[in-house]
Amino acid sequence: MIIATGLSRRLSVGGALLLALVFALRWVHWGRLPLTTLMDVLDLIVVLSTIVMLAVYRDESAQALQCFFAPPLALLAAISGCVAPGYLYAEPRSLQGVYLAVHVGLAFLAYSMFLAASLTSAGYIFKAQQLKSRRPTRLFSQLPALEQLDQKLFFLIRTGYPMFAITLFIGLLWAWHERDLLGPRWWLSPKIFLSFIMAGFYSVSFHTRRFGLLRGRQLAYLVFVGFSVLLAAFLALGLFDVINYNFWGSAQ
Amino acid sequence: MTLAAVGLSHHSCPIEIREKLLFAEKSLPQALTRFQKRVPDSGVVILSTCNRVEVYANAALGPDELQAEIRSFLAEWHNTPEAVFTPHLYQHADKQAIGHLFRVASSLDSLVVGEGQILGQVHDAFLLSQTEQATDKIISALFQKAFTVAKNVRTKTNISAGKVSISSVAVDLAVSIFTDLADKTVMVIGSGEMGELTLKSLVSHGVGQVLVVNRSPERAKEVAAEYRGEPVLFEGLKANLHRADIVISSTAAPDFILDASDFQHALKSRAKRPMFAIDIAMPRDIDPAANELDNVYLYDVDGLQEVANANLEARRAEVARCMEIVEDGVEQFHHWMQGLVAEPTIVSMSQELNSIRERELQKTLSALPDLTEKQAEEVAYLSRRIVNAILQRPMSQLKHEVTHHDPHAVLHLVKRLFGLKESP
Repeated sequence: MIIATGLSRRLSVGGALLLALVFALRWVHWGRLPLTTLMDVLDLIVVLSTIVMLAVYRDESAQALQCFFAPPLALLAAISGCVAPGYLYAEPRSLQGVYLAVHVGLAFLAYSMFLAASLTSAGYIFKAQQLKSRRPTRLFSQLPALEQLDQKLFFLIRTGYPMFAITLFIGLLWAWHERDLLGPRWWLSPKIFLSFIMAGFYSVSFHTRRFGLLRGRQLAYLVFVGFSVLLAAFLALGLFDVINYNFWGSAQ
Repeated sequence: MTLAAVGLSHHSCPIEIREKLLFAEKSLPQALTRFQKRVPDSGVVILSTCNRVEVYANAALGPDELQAEIRSFLAEWHNTPEAVFTPHLYQHADKQAIGHLFRVASSLDSLVVGEGQILGQVHDAFLLSQTEQATDKIISALFQKAFTVAKNVRTKTNISAGKVSISSVAVDLAVSIFTDLADKTVMVIGSGEMGELTLKSLVSHGVGQVLVVNRSPERAKEVAAEYRGEPVLFEGLKANLHRADIVISSTAAPDFILDASDFQHALKSRAKRPMFAIDIAMPRDIDPAANELDNVYLYDVDGLQEVANANLEARRAEVARCMEIVEDGVEQFHHWMQGLVAEPTIVSMSQELNSIRERELQKTLSALPDLTEKQAEEVAYLSRRIVNAILQRPMSQLKHEVTHHDPHAVLHLVKRLFGLKESP
């Protein structure tokens, strides 16, 4: 397991580095942040999620969990790095400059935290299920203790949720300021609507855990299923191009 | 030389017979000396545990003779007729004896496969024999190799993974629920033997606080004092349940003393932090419905035994892999031992060629009287180098040949080729 952990971590870091390199090359090539396609977004999330997970599960007793998420992340990173699109959409004028780095960067860091929380939930559900069934497998003993998984899960939500809330708040201020550009019903944009749902969902997760109303398996199920639904919804928006704020205009 | 292992274990005989042949720890040095007096120039190790009594010996006797000596020694030492224990004995020689020791040291022959205690016992038996100067070159090498093989078996397979006793399984499960036992509280209800054993295991793993609940306040105080815990009156059990992270229950109550609603209330008071309940009572103390609650993990005796059995099964599944390591070790050691057969012949060869060298060297030096002392030394050094170079290949080839062909035929041929004397 120690070897597997090391290998998984190396694969994961290697994949993320490859992806970061592609990202950097695209940045240099286009002369601006390459963050306008769905693939770009997913790439950045993979890189950030790898960093978050390696940092959160760096302590020895929890490192085994890296074996479960590092290989898929590495694979995603490697595939994504290989199929990076050769085009870039025109960037909205308002998003040029420091704002993009702060607003989008913070949002993506929060998404990565949520992905990490979701993977942690999966580990928790698996371990708790094995304990309940009284038939623990060898895989069971390799996972960190339930209490540790619960603490990590709460840490990820506790950190990701305010980060996302701040991002959303900054975004709303900016949208209000740019309401002429975005149109009168900018707040009905599917992406904004979904972001509100996401903030609400993580607010519920955070506060129920904070006040001891939900903990353990129930919270883990909530976080895992909630994230999966939100991710599917975001992907659907991206794939069917209904993110429209009226500013993702023509391709460059 | 013959290597023999003669003994009996829980596999081959009932405890009544093992008791008769058990060596008291204090008598072992004397027993080793007695054996060596009986079989001069031998090496011997006596392994005597509650599950097995075995004598490993190496001596210049045939296999049957050496095994007969060990049997008579056991009969004489324990003042028990051979007929009483001989039907239960296993008697191995050479390769089989090596394999047996390697399996024993690797815990493949143990009652609980993969347990770690036996390796320490084998180690102690060998150390005692070494201290008493009862070992020889072969016995020492045999045991050293046994330790290496046992270490490989433990590190390269999962033979020792997963606990197999009820109390250690309980500790393992506690560790898989809680990150650190030091800040956890264990509540022990009743004073069943198994409950106290589990409590002891948890305390030895550093559990922070102990609450002792008993119908008898005196008994509660007594147990609490032993574990530096806090006595709790039985009437206060439910009111204090929320304080416990781990609950061990082993009372003689005829009905459930805790049900699901008690745990539900406790969870509410402790912000749903997980609780691990170990019900070792018969009949059970805790309603199994408590296990349906989220964050309550309830294990009764059957549940713990199920985990222990699964771990044991997993260990058994590893035996085939362990046996491969053992067989490799046996082959290596057997080859090394066979190589030793050639040693006297190699020594004779070396002596014979060196005596020729010395003779011819003297002739040469006599024919060259003008040589300085340094030059004479150089010539002597040259002659030694030539002899060593000539001997090098035949020596290594001879060790190889005796391990792969009939050693007697090979050695006889070499002795004839070099004009060496036959061994008596």
